[in-house]
Amino acid sequence: MKLASVQSDRILIVDDEELIVMAMRKYLEGLGYAVDAAHELEEAQALLANYSYDLVIADLRLTGIGGVEGLQIVADVHQRCPRTRVILLSAFGTPEIERESFNRGADVFLQKPRAMMEIATVARTLLEHR
Amino acid sequence: MSEHSALNTILRPGGITPLFQPIMRVAGASASVHALECLSRGPAGTNFAAAGVLFDYVRLKREESLVDRACISAAFAQSSLLPTDVQLCVNVHASTLGRDVGFVPFLQTVAARHAIAMKRITVEVVEHAPPWDGRSFLEAIAQLRAAGAKLAVDDVGLGQSNFKMLIDVSPDYLKLDRYFVLSCSADPKRRAVVSAVTQLAREFGAEVVAEGVEEPDDVECLRGFDITLLQGFLYAKPLPAEGVASFCAAA
Repeated sequence: MKLASVQSDRILIVDDEELIVMAMRKYLEGLGYAVDAAHELEEAQALLANYSYDLVIADLRLTGIGGVEGLQIVADVHQRCPRTRVILLSAFGTPEIERESFNRGADVFLQKPRAMMEIATVARTLLEHR
Repeated sequence: MSEHSALNTILRPGGITPLFQPIMRVAGASASVHALECLSRGPAGTNFAAAGVLFDYVRLKREESLVDRACISAAFAQSSLLPTDVQLCVNVHASTLGRDVGFVPFLQTVAARHAIAMKRITVEVVEHAPPWDGRSFLEAIAQLRAAGAKLAVDDVGLGQSNFKMLIDVSPDYLKLDRYFVLSCSADPKRRAVVSAVTQLAREFGAEVVAEGVEEPDDVECLRGFDITLLQGFLYAKPLPAEGVASFCAAA
């Protein structure tokens, strides 16, 4: 792991399940990342409008959002910063949604549940190969 | 259903923390407090403690009216700690004035509850995204005028704070955004904008308030345009109500 890189990398977690957010935040902060979290699409959009992130990890099933509509977050991220990497998580992903997520610019699509260690490994790999 | 409703967290009692930033009247070498701009922060320990995140979120949720009301209630609730001889400036979205037909009566009621005369209030109109109901907006502006409030257009030169807004509001004050103020002394392009807005204010019979004043050189530059109302960290950061009286006494 490139420590200098990790120390300056900032990650935004977007998930409406508080327990998942808490666990993921604790794990990633333990690895040295700066972590913010949003529980709603609009909260994430407001954060993206005010801060720069190196990586966004987003659950597709945000409050009031389902299916392909949840991919809006990818457009929001890339509108603000094309260099920001995006990992999408979904417990209800279909091949169609997965294909569409890549079409819209997501870097990785992961079916939930996933171990924190696995998500962190994917995050680190993305951040190291920007 | 979300486990977490951010809007409820913001709107619950104590969710909004009011702060007050002095607007100084500068004359020669002296400066006195002309007004206090009521500012708001969201719940501590949340993303909304940052004003930019708070209000971007509120606008995305299209809940400007609810939050504008909450911010005014929170600020006026602390008015007993504030000097009574200065104007109180409150920020109100144009969309609130255009959509919330009960807003002006609400403002009058809250002001009366805290013994604040309407003539002491300046409504700073802010807008980031049209459209709003033009007729309702103009009616609300007329109601505010009739009630004795003063009007300001915030963030002049940015976003929707454009010439149409100036004509619709016919403001008493044009608030020049910090983008144009910061380093105006060193930047001819910024000085050109300051000059243009000053001329515009003169034509409207309004005064310019320069926001984001941080450098003495910029003060000299602004004074050169006869701008005497200055606001920014050079004079004071946003203060809690408890700190306002001592600041005013020392100013």
